[in-house]
Amino acid sequence: MSEALSIMFWPLIACLLLPGILVYYGLHIVRREIIFVDLALAQVAALGMCLSILLKHEPHDWQTYAWSLGFTFIGAAIFTLTRNENHRVPQEALIGIVYVVAAATAILLLSQSAEGDEELKRTLVGDILLVRPAEVFQAFGLYAVIGVIHYLFRKRFLLISFEPERATAEGVSIRWWDFLFYVLFGFVVTSFVHIGGVLMIFSYLIVPAICANLLAQSLRARLVIGWLTATIASIVGLYVSYKKDLPTGASIVCALGAALLIVGLLWRFIPRAKRS
Amino acid sequence: MKMMNRIIGAMICLGAVGQPAFAKLNVVATTPDLGSIAAVVGGDLVSVTTLAKPTEDPHFVDAKPSFIAKLNRADALVEGGADLEIGWLPALLDQARNNKLQAGAPGRIACSQGVQLLEIPAALDRSKGDIHAAGNPHFLTDPENARIVAQHIAEGFSALEPKSSAVFQSNLKQFLGQLDAKIAEWEKLLGPYRGQQVVAYHDSWPYFAKRFGLKIDLFLEPKPGIPPTPVHLAEVILRMRAEHIRPILVEPYQNRKTAQTVAAETGAVVVDVSQFPGGVKDTEGGYLELVDHNIRSVAHAFGENKGTTAEK
Repeated sequence: MSEALSIMFWPLIACLLLPGILVYYGLHIVRREIIFVDLALAQVAALGMCLSILLKHEPHDWQTYAWSLGFTFIGAAIFTLTRNENHRVPQEALIGIVYVVAAATAILLLSQSAEGDEELKRTLVGDILLVRPAEVFQAFGLYAVIGVIHYLFRKRFLLISFEPERATAEGVSIRWWDFLFYVLFGFVVTSFVHIGGVLMIFSYLIVPAICANLLAQSLRARLVIGWLTATIASIVGLYVSYKKDLPTGASIVCALGAALLIVGLLWRFIPRAKRS
Repeated sequence: MKMMNRIIGAMICLGAVGQPAFAKLNVVATTPDLGSIAAVVGGDLVSVTTLAKPTEDPHFVDAKPSFIAKLNRADALVEGGADLEIGWLPALLDQARNNKLQAGAPGRIACSQGVQLLEIPAALDRSKGDIHAAGNPHFLTDPENARIVAQHIAEGFSALEPKSSAVFQSNLKQFLGQLDAKIAEWEKLLGPYRGQQVVAYHDSWPYFAKRFGLKIDLFLEPKPGIPPTPVHLAEVILRMRAEHIRPILVEPYQNRKTAQTVAAETGAVVVDVSQFPGGVKDTEGGYLELVDHNIRSVAHAFGENKGTTAEK
């Protein structure tokens, strides 16, 4: 066990510290019914990474981070401008298109690079096993700042996500708060894509939020359930990865999937009267 | 934390008591070719574990938790060096925190030392593809280099376990004897085809080509590491037709389909070769069996009648 702990120490710390903010964002995103926006933004961030690699920067250079972030902001701007714009073009469709085009462009770019296939795989499942302590602390510091901003302006953020009609009625600038929401989200996504990859960030955002929505009503209870789900699934995923010697990122994603299955079954068998 | 340290301390003590007086040298090799040679040289006195699978691209190995555990417990690390493992080994070593394997420590055995490396670039330019700053690291495709590598490993083991030095030397001598006999045999097999051309998927065979007087300068990849493009393949096909080139060397982790398409267009033969024992069938025995397979397959492809295309 002590060996497991020493080998999986930094991945474990990363998986305990970082998903906190992802779970919170997940609740917003599930509520807004823009489930794939994170997948699309993560893929756009990965596209920035690919371009940077093609420009001969290393994956861990600050230039790579800057490219990723720049691309993510462009994505954020697109999604802000298209919210509820036109019902003939559902936003979900645009989100899907952004994802697919970003993924295809990444393939085109990386076909020009010698390490292309490997980098492509890395943008998907990341490198959580070999995460460096500095990366974890940098991301955590950033997430703490973003968490504070969200806490300070929680009323605005919750209003535009959970009650957009009321926000309009009260004269809150949805567009501005939306953009801020996406910009902060862009930082969250970019940092985590570098550590965990596209699949992992999607799972941490959506699975705990869905579990929480099934089991609880109030935001506070949902947050607690979401964090519990993320933490338990992380530990199980890391342990299975160590015990069975499997790729770590994919193990955690599957553990999150299993968590949803279990919660789903629980929900099914809780008497209907107790729900609502 | 104190408690934890005490528990770990107790476990280490127990482990030390439980071990036999003559513990084997715990050796980790990065790739199976190095692992095979290390096992032959070390004999019964070492236990060798290999990280990369024989079917895996040695430049890109998927890190797994057990790798860190193995590196953490190792007494010695046998690596190819010359940037072969640069994409994955440094991060693993960081995590393993094993002082015995630090750069420059006696436990770190870099096999490229002493090997005359080919294709050392005058200037590093990434636009030329996956270029190796230190030279081409696929030096074990030339069996003469296995002599240098085996000697280097024997020296490394002797430095770590001076009292077993005689055993390592005698194992080495035996291996070199077998190698000499085999090299004479291989020279004879490929002798008739000196100066002939061979196509390869990737530029992993310059040492092999040099040793046996073959010309391997046409590749399915437009640049090393860049996947084949239609325009480049068309050029390759034209040149192969014009110059009647027959064998196309493909390794397990490369796209055999591409090679088959080219072979079908040109009447060439796809030859399944590997740099690593176990990478293709019947080479599990070790390094000598592997080189034997590669050379017989190439000789066979040269010798085959024209008109027959790829088997399988």
